[in-house]
Amino acid sequence: MGEAPADDLAVVLAIDGPHGPVIHAANRVARLAGAAEGGRIVDMRALRPDLQVHYADPGGEAALLERLVFWARRWCPWTAADGPRGLILDTTGSDHLFGGEAALLAEMEAQLSLLGFCARLALAPTRGAAWGLARHGRVRAICGAGALADSLAPLPVAALRLEAETLLLLHRLGLKRIGALAGLPRPSLSRRFVGARPEANPLIRLDQALGRLAEPLSCPGETPRLRSLARLSEPTVDPTHFLPALCRELCDRLDAAGQGCRRLRVTVFRTDGETSGVTVALAAPSRDAEHLRRLFDGKLERIDPGFGFDLIALEALAVEPLSPSQARLGGGADKTRAPAQRTDTLPALVQTGDTLSALAQTIDRLSARFGARAITRPVLQASNIPERAEAQVSALAAAPVHAARPDLDRPIRLMTAPEEIRALYALPDGPPAQFVWRRRKLQVLRHAGPERIAPEWWRDRSGARSRDYFKVEVETGQRFWIYREGLHADGRGGDPRWFLHGIFA
Amino acid sequence: MPQNDTIARRRLLEGDFAPNPPAPFVELGVTSAFSFLRGASDAVDLVAAASAQGHHALGIADLNTMAGVVRLHTEARKAHIRPVIGCRLALISGEAFLAYPRDRDAYGRLCALLSKGKMRDANGGWQAKGACDIGLADLAAHAEGVELAALPGDDLAGFSARLPALIAALPGLRHVGASYRYQGDDRARIHALDRLARRRGLGILATNDVHYHAPERRPLQDVMTCILHKTTVQRAGFLLAANAERHLKSPAEMVRLFAPWPHAIAATRIVADACAFELTDLAYEYPQETVPEGSTPQRHLEALTWAGADSRYPDGIPPKVAQALHKELDLIARRKFAQYFLTVHDIIRFARGRGILCQGRGSAANSAVCFVLGITAVDPAKFDLLFERFVSEERKEPPDIDVDFEHERREEVIQYVYARYGRDRAGLCATVIHYRPRSAIREVGKAMGLSEDVTAALARTVWGSFGTDMGAGQAAEAGLDLHDPLLARTLRLAGQMIGMPRHLSQHVGGFILTDGPLTRTVPIGNGAMPERSFIEWDKDDIDELGILKVDVLALGMLTCIRKALDLIAAHHGRRYELATVPPEDPAVYDMLCEGDSVGVFQVESRAQMNMLPRLRPRAFYDLVIEVAIVRPGPIQGDMVHPYLRRRNGEEPVVYPSPGPEHDPDELRNILGRTLGVPIFQEQAMKIAIDAARFSPAEANELRKAMATFRSRGTIEALQDKMVGRMIARGYDPAFAARCFDQIKGFGEYGFPESHAASFALLVYVSAWLKRHYPAVFAAALLNSQPMGFYAPAQIVRDAREHGVEVRAADVNFSDWDSTLEPCGGGFALRLGLRQIDGLAAAAAARIMAARDAPYPDLEGLKAAARRDAGAVRRIAAADALRSMDLDRRAALWEARALKDAPDLPLFRDARDEGADPPVLLPAMPLCEHVVADYQTLRLSLKAHPMGFFRASLNRQGHVLAAAVAGARNGRSIRLAGLVLIRQRPGSAKGVCFITLEDETGVANLVVWPKVMAQFRKTVMTARLMEVTGRVQRDPSSGVVHVIATLLRDRSDALAALSDEAFRAQPAHADEAKPPIAAPRLGHPRDARIIPKSRDFH
Repeated sequence: MGEAPADDLAVVLAIDGPHGPVIHAANRVARLAGAAEGGRIVDMRALRPDLQVHYADPGGEAALLERLVFWARRWCPWTAADGPRGLILDTTGSDHLFGGEAALLAEMEAQLSLLGFCARLALAPTRGAAWGLARHGRVRAICGAGALADSLAPLPVAALRLEAETLLLLHRLGLKRIGALAGLPRPSLSRRFVGARPEANPLIRLDQALGRLAEPLSCPGETPRLRSLARLSEPTVDPTHFLPALCRELCDRLDAAGQGCRRLRVTVFRTDGETSGVTVALAAPSRDAEHLRRLFDGKLERIDPGFGFDLIALEALAVEPLSPSQARLGGGADKTRAPAQRTDTLPALVQTGDTLSALAQTIDRLSARFGARAITRPVLQASNIPERAEAQVSALAAAPVHAARPDLDRPIRLMTAPEEIRALYALPDGPPAQFVWRRRKLQVLRHAGPERIAPEWWRDRSGARSRDYFKVEVETGQRFWIYREGLHADGRGGDPRWFLHGIFA
Repeated sequence: MPQNDTIARRRLLEGDFAPNPPAPFVELGVTSAFSFLRGASDAVDLVAAASAQGHHALGIADLNTMAGVVRLHTEARKAHIRPVIGCRLALISGEAFLAYPRDRDAYGRLCALLSKGKMRDANGGWQAKGACDIGLADLAAHAEGVELAALPGDDLAGFSARLPALIAALPGLRHVGASYRYQGDDRARIHALDRLARRRGLGILATNDVHYHAPERRPLQDVMTCILHKTTVQRAGFLLAANAERHLKSPAEMVRLFAPWPHAIAATRIVADACAFELTDLAYEYPQETVPEGSTPQRHLEALTWAGADSRYPDGIPPKVAQALHKELDLIARRKFAQYFLTVHDIIRFARGRGILCQGRGSAANSAVCFVLGITAVDPAKFDLLFERFVSEERKEPPDIDVDFEHERREEVIQYVYARYGRDRAGLCATVIHYRPRSAIREVGKAMGLSEDVTAALARTVWGSFGTDMGAGQAAEAGLDLHDPLLARTLRLAGQMIGMPRHLSQHVGGFILTDGPLTRTVPIGNGAMPERSFIEWDKDDIDELGILKVDVLALGMLTCIRKALDLIAAHHGRRYELATVPPEDPAVYDMLCEGDSVGVFQVESRAQMNMLPRLRPRAFYDLVIEVAIVRPGPIQGDMVHPYLRRRNGEEPVVYPSPGPEHDPDELRNILGRTLGVPIFQEQAMKIAIDAARFSPAEANELRKAMATFRSRGTIEALQDKMVGRMIARGYDPAFAARCFDQIKGFGEYGFPESHAASFALLVYVSAWLKRHYPAVFAAALLNSQPMGFYAPAQIVRDAREHGVEVRAADVNFSDWDSTLEPCGGGFALRLGLRQIDGLAAAAAARIMAARDAPYPDLEGLKAAARRDAGAVRRIAAADALRSMDLDRRAALWEARALKDAPDLPLFRDARDEGADPPVLLPAMPLCEHVVADYQTLRLSLKAHPMGFFRASLNRQGHVLAAAVAGARNGRSIRLAGLVLIRQRPGSAKGVCFITLEDETGVANLVVWPKVMAQFRKTVMTARLMEVTGRVQRDPSSGVVHVIATLLRDRSDALAALSDEAFRAQPAHADEAKPPIAAPRLGHPRDARIIPKSRDFH
């Protein structure tokens, strides 16, 4: 949800249309200024040059609505999303728990507004009637089974979940209220809309709203929570002994679900009602109980046991699919091993055999011990500037992989900071003949180059100079990677300077 | 008008260049900006750099295209550099070559090869636009006489493995391209290439793989790469080159880099010297079909001319015309243009034979020859027109005849041209689409990783300021901080990007025709439209090479006039042609003087309507002026008011004269017919020549500078030159400055007299039709939609105001087109079924074909419509079943009951639901009918929507639109109406013009910028507007405006008419000019169109 924009700013959310971005949603100020869903952003900008445009996140919205569906199960067991912006709840038999229907609706509205949502609510015996009343009826309309037809009659036909074309036809026919439609002889209507889809068929919609046609609610099931619990008969202050069993139990569940976990949390429920816990992360999904347990080594002390706790929960906070792979010729799945498709989290060289899971486990343990930021690994970056061609990322993070350019020969050791040297060379841009590095004078026997690398103009300051790299071999047989920074008369400072940047094996 | 896009924003090389002595090295691997998004420098920069660096020749090798060769050729000639014409070929198998033809034949083969790759894909199917598939076998078949140099990629081993096969297939392959790439391994790499080449009997050829003219262009090239790969510079990584070395290097520098391989340098000279082909060798041959056996083009043209003259002037050729004909024929013979006239004549003759109305215009079109050949209908005997444009011999440019055809039937003409000359000999010109400020900012900003918000804000700052620099002031206005280095860099790069070619598009109708295969002259590629192909060169390139082209254009008004003339012949029994419409009818001019010009060609816009009563046209030549005067040129030059004052006798007609030592009457000849005020483009140019003593070359430079993309400095220099010389010769400085301003205005929207004359004829003919046959004219207008300025609702309204009875579309009376029905002594207009939204022409045709007797009921109609219940429902929704005694609601109810079932016995009339019980639907109120009429027919004959509010409006003290005309000057009034048109012409300094319509007529509002700022949203979106304002009457013309002071959006009232949204269609666009520093709604053309109503467009 993020932060809500200020009330006096016109803000719209945009999605890409065929002719540029169009408005997906608008706040009140923008709506008053004329923003309507589906309108073009450029048109709207013409009206309100100060319009703020943010890109909508339809995927995020759908995910949020899905979460809301489960969140709404607090009131009744059957909840489902209704279109992109609606929720449908089957509250049959559960309203008395909340003090009756009116109280239930008030409670819902209050709870939703605490989450930051405006909602229009209605309660009716059928799904269709509830849909129409919520959108076209009174505020928090409640309609009993006996009053269904009467409550619906004054509503516009738009309350029947019909598509625009059918609505236009009904309007032209003078059938503007549900009551007028319901008053027509059924055969006449059925004859005129035979074979039409429900959203184009007023008769079907009418029957659904009036309960003549069943419209069952299909509710999505919730993904099971992967966690294991240990209930203790006596409060204790040390969870260590319970952890192996909890890990085993959790790993069995992960195995059954075909998942491996990437994040894991131990929570203790203290007798004083407080909770405390510790979280660990993994470099690769795993369901190896022993490995998981060891990640908590030395960490459980951080849990504040208070006066003791009587419930310990081990929960997999983030899971990823982990299919068992056959590890041995004789068969049998090694469920501890990360599958090959997870290679993007690990360097390519350690992909073979058991080293993979061994390395992942080592990373996990080290990270668990020293902190996620302490353990990093180098990744390639697509940059021509040598020191930018490599970056360090947390070993636990997934990083995009850039290929190195195979045609470039780079030294095996690159100095963290290039060391300035003094070099003799032929003007204007000849190769070095001799140079002094760390107070040693070195004669260049052979050289290759130059390789000219210009600054990355979009990120370097404007005075940055291009570099001419040379591979040189000195009389001692050592090979260095040295560069001249700048050229004569490049207009970016005085004489070029020389640096030693790397050492070849 | 799409003029904006077609004008080539072309930079041209300026200044004097000394020829360079022959250098040992010639760069052959130049990628120019015509390798779209690959090369970052255009011909001007490349040639200027080459000249400065001491090159004596420069090769061009764009990727699979010859699109940029003419420009390089032109610019190189100017700088005394020899252009070497070639291209870079990339095969589908991955190999790349530099290809340079040695002679004309080899060039032809190369063009044919490219054409093949661009017209057919690898499997022989229709090639997609912009793609080019060439295989090794294709190349081998076309490689004779072509110097090829294979370009190794990064993968030397792979190249080495493929080389033997290439050598075997291509005997002409003699070189391997070698570049010093500064990638660290250059020496080793070039040595390896050298060894490889020697082993295979080839040699290496030095090239620097030039992508830009100077290292400073690397950022732009990087940005182009990002645009090409749809990424940003931050993410592009290794797509970008590591250094800026791929720039044009001097011969000395190249010799130094290739010192160990002198033969690589020498090879470039060998290749360049062997390729003697020049674009000037493309001796242009016109098709010979138009000349009968045994005659010459000139003799044939003369014969046709005199025969035509005899038929045009049955009473004898007037001596003036005969003299003009002799003079023109003589000139045509000297310039060898006879073939051109014959070709145009041939196309026109075809169109005439098919009954397709057409008219020529353009510099050569208003010649006597064109009149007697039937190309134009403006009689030189009656109208004394300037022929200097055509006659000028100094201008080494081909004559220019644009021929307009009926827009609905132009395709027939195009297909005729293809059929007559063959697709390999006829091709459409290309139009080079250049980066314009907005597109440049948007794409560069995207590549720089800026958000859509920021690029939109940046783009807004450059709104309309074409060719001017994007100033910091404008950016600050948009709330952007230009000190931010990223923004500053983006603007700088976008500035470089402006004017770069972006892609090739198809010219609207410029054909070039050749005697031999066209593919041997220039590569031809496929258009985005199927069955269209166009050449790679644009109009300027063709002019440059002296290739003649014929413009086959579409004009909606010709369709309308032809339909009107047909209707007159059918119903009134009189057959008129464009040339035989009775001329100089005072009644027509009376009508025009009142500004009564809805539907009349060109003069129906509001600006023109206001001008008509002030100009008071009384003769054909007045119409010529009328057409030309409401244009940015005369307006910017402030020539309109002086002309009107002189015409009305308020100001003496004086001719600006130079100092006493010069001929005082030197401008009298030029300005005689326009009362001493320059109005036409030719006049302004002629003033530059006569009064400012411009040489023909200077005048040409001036003309080109205005029409093309030039730096501010050049224009200022020309201004100083022209104004300075005029003042020096004793002219009034203010007059001199105005003349120059006018030329500046002409630059983009120039309107020469010859065009104006051809258009004026159509103005006259359409006005004549409107005056004498209003029903016919309205029917023809409706049948030619979409065209013109007004929507069907306004056309119908205007016809009714002129006493025409308009009858509603009805399935039993209407044809597809609107027709005339006898009515009393005259004819009534019956709307056609084409007005019904969504009704297919084919369905209507079936209904009409089966209509022997009126359809008694819906079943019969459905049977006729081949059981297409959808069509019947559309007709019902449009209330076109009244003749069956069904009003809209009943008709919809009944039509809904029709089944879309196959016509089989089982389904026939089987009412399985039982008998349809009678249903009483409430009667449809009139206001709902009107709303539904607008929704389905875009007009209503039943009532005007404003009529429903009249009682309430009266009580609130609103006046009728018709009453505004009689209101006292300065009176404060209130009125309300539907918004027909909103306009913000560029020449009006931010003033917005709104036309409101109510049931009695229209009222014209003027909204000053201050009021506009206050009521911005209302002005831009209201569909029903309530306005309080002051009446302002122009005393001389009687034109009345309402100066708005208070505006209110009352579109909500429309919604109350029906529960649905009301969608009135506003008028079409007028000649909108973009340069208003204001936001716009979509395309500039739609700037004043109601956003809600865009769904109609």
